[in-house]
Amino acid sequence: MRRALLAITGLAAGTTALVVLKGAPEDRQVARELPVGVPVGTPDRTGPATPGATPQRTAATPRPTGQPSSTAGRTPAARRTTPGGDAGTRRTPAAGRTTAPKPTTRTVTGPVVSTEFGNVQVRITVAGTRIVDAVALELPQGGQSDLRSDRVDAAYSGTSGDVVRQQGANLDTVSQATATSDGYRRSLQAALDQAR
Amino acid sequence: MHAAGRRTRDPSGYGGRPAAPVPPPPARPRRGSAGRRALSALFWAGLVAAVLPWWLDTPAGSLTGTADVLTAAGRVTGLVAGYLLLVQVLMMSRLGVLERGVGGERLSRVHRDLGATLLVAVLAHLSLLVVGYARTLGNPVTAQVGVLLRDFDDMVSAFAAAGILVLVGGTGIRAVRRAMPYELWYHLHLTSYLALLLGFGHQFSNGAQLFPPGPVRTGWIAAYLLVAAALVWGRLVAPVLLNLRHRLRVADVVAESPDTVSIYLTGRRLHQLDPLGGQYLRWRFLARGCWWQSHPFSLSAAANGRWLRLTVKVVGGHTRDLRDLDPGTRVWVEGPSGTFTAAHRTRERALLIAGGSGIGPLRAMLEELPAGAALIYRARTPADVLLQHELDWLAQARQTSVWYVVGSRDDAGPRQVMSPDGLRRLVPDLTRRDVYLCGPQGLVDSSVRALRQAGVPRRQIHLAPFEL
Repeated sequence: MRRALLAITGLAAGTTALVVLKGAPEDRQVARELPVGVPVGTPDRTGPATPGATPQRTAATPRPTGQPSSTAGRTPAARRTTPGGDAGTRRTPAAGRTTAPKPTTRTVTGPVVSTEFGNVQVRITVAGTRIVDAVALELPQGGQSDLRSDRVDAAYSGTSGDVVRQQGANLDTVSQATATSDGYRRSLQAALDQAR
Repeated sequence: MHAAGRRTRDPSGYGGRPAAPVPPPPARPRRGSAGRRALSALFWAGLVAAVLPWWLDTPAGSLTGTADVLTAAGRVTGLVAGYLLLVQVLMMSRLGVLERGVGGERLSRVHRDLGATLLVAVLAHLSLLVVGYARTLGNPVTAQVGVLLRDFDDMVSAFAAAGILVLVGGTGIRAVRRAMPYELWYHLHLTSYLALLLGFGHQFSNGAQLFPPGPVRTGWIAAYLLVAAALVWGRLVAPVLLNLRHRLRVADVVAESPDTVSIYLTGRRLHQLDPLGGQYLRWRFLARGCWWQSHPFSLSAAANGRWLRLTVKVVGGHTRDLRDLDPGTRVWVEGPSGTFTAAHRTRERALLIAGGSGIGPLRAMLEELPAGAALIYRARTPADVLLQHELDWLAQARQTSVWYVVGSRDDAGPRQVMSPDGLRRLVPDLTRRDVYLCGPQGLVDSSVRALRQAGVPRRQIHLAPFEL
């Protein structure tokens, strides 16, 4: 019994020591997941990704913060970014490994696909082998485009949209928004290829 | 003498009471601790290897908020818990190396202590991660549990595994365990294999260190496979081979005292079954009402190539049934196990202290100790003294001093003898002997205290594998 208590104390002390040792700031730069230039300076819970930083419309539907989004980035497992927002340089962890730390939950951003109405870019969140979220970072905007974009976004994006339901890019075309749907699917497919 | 068994026949047909006409050469003393130290080092190396991936994967200074810290601590405890669970199962795999190298008794002691640690690690892993994730995502904790169960792969089974481990760990608490029948406790404990299975998936689908393919993931899976292989070998293949080779049967059941019986067993090629005196085997008597229970009993005579004997005190339902075993009953056996043997002593001479039916393993060990051993036999009444003729015969044949100390533990005589001074007077070179203790817990505890006061080093004190 005495040894069990000793072991439990050791477990608590050891865990604390490890976390404290790792927590000590040594370098503000932290490995990042996303490619350069993608506006994800803050973790999802803090709100939408840098709105209005560029003239074009970013993040067609920035998820409202209040929305109970279960998958909001699965950030616990995902790699963290510092609040300071570094420029996205990949940094090798202190131990000198050549690869960045591998999280369970990853976000993968598809390429910008241009359609006749404007650019489309999709970002997906993958937990394990499952897609758990899809966000349109960019969709055509202005006039009729807004309408089309909203319809595609409503159908495809989100934690319970078509992308999560179908677990792939094999999605039904949204009626009267064929080109936008197509652009969305291409960016998504590229993101999926990249995730695999 | 009253009959406890149905028959009180002289078992001379099975080799005769004076067990070994030609005393076997005494076992040489050896230290069994080198192997143990290596295993212990292996355990610590494994623990480091389990946590190391987290250390390498986590950039220094990356734990900036409370949520990060909680999540990181949850991961560390999770890795530790996963490792400890594997070690726990491995220790109970009945692998011959462990059973005879470390000894079943020490294994179960470590298993107990590590089990408590595992329980705490699992609970810490679970609660730290739930709170950490809830903090990160801004969910209430209860809602976060729902999110984990619903949206994360393999988390339902992981929670089930945690539930099983908590249940098993809870019943391991001594007070709880005493209150429940052994069989229920045992079968509940078997469900921890289920926990191993149910907890498997979530480590790879959600474990930050184990999810990505690579050496860490491969190594972790390999560890699981190794433990599974050890289980199959130790619990299935090895026992089947052993029993196919020896085909043990009950030869006779003989009453030794009103509440003690000796069971004699014969089988094929018994000279190849080489248990040391003091070791035990797990016995499953394939008779009605007995076959589904397996119990460890020590041998009460050294191996002689012709028969085996165990001497059992009737204490519960199962042992009561053993009195009625018919000759010819098949016996399924696993073992032998234990480091409570003459071979594990550190000094040339030994002192044996027996209480009541605890004489069994010591009687077997006497045959393998060199001349000059000493035996103190505590018994409450003269009728409780078992195997007296054999002991007297052995005392003569092997120049062993035997003292029968009869009386209640509060009587002046036994109390005087069992005090530090009394022991020293009886055995002047006490501190230069290994001391083997087997008997009721009260006697063992008080004897260990007296021996320590008399100056016997702890590593020279050997305790019997189970409480009587």
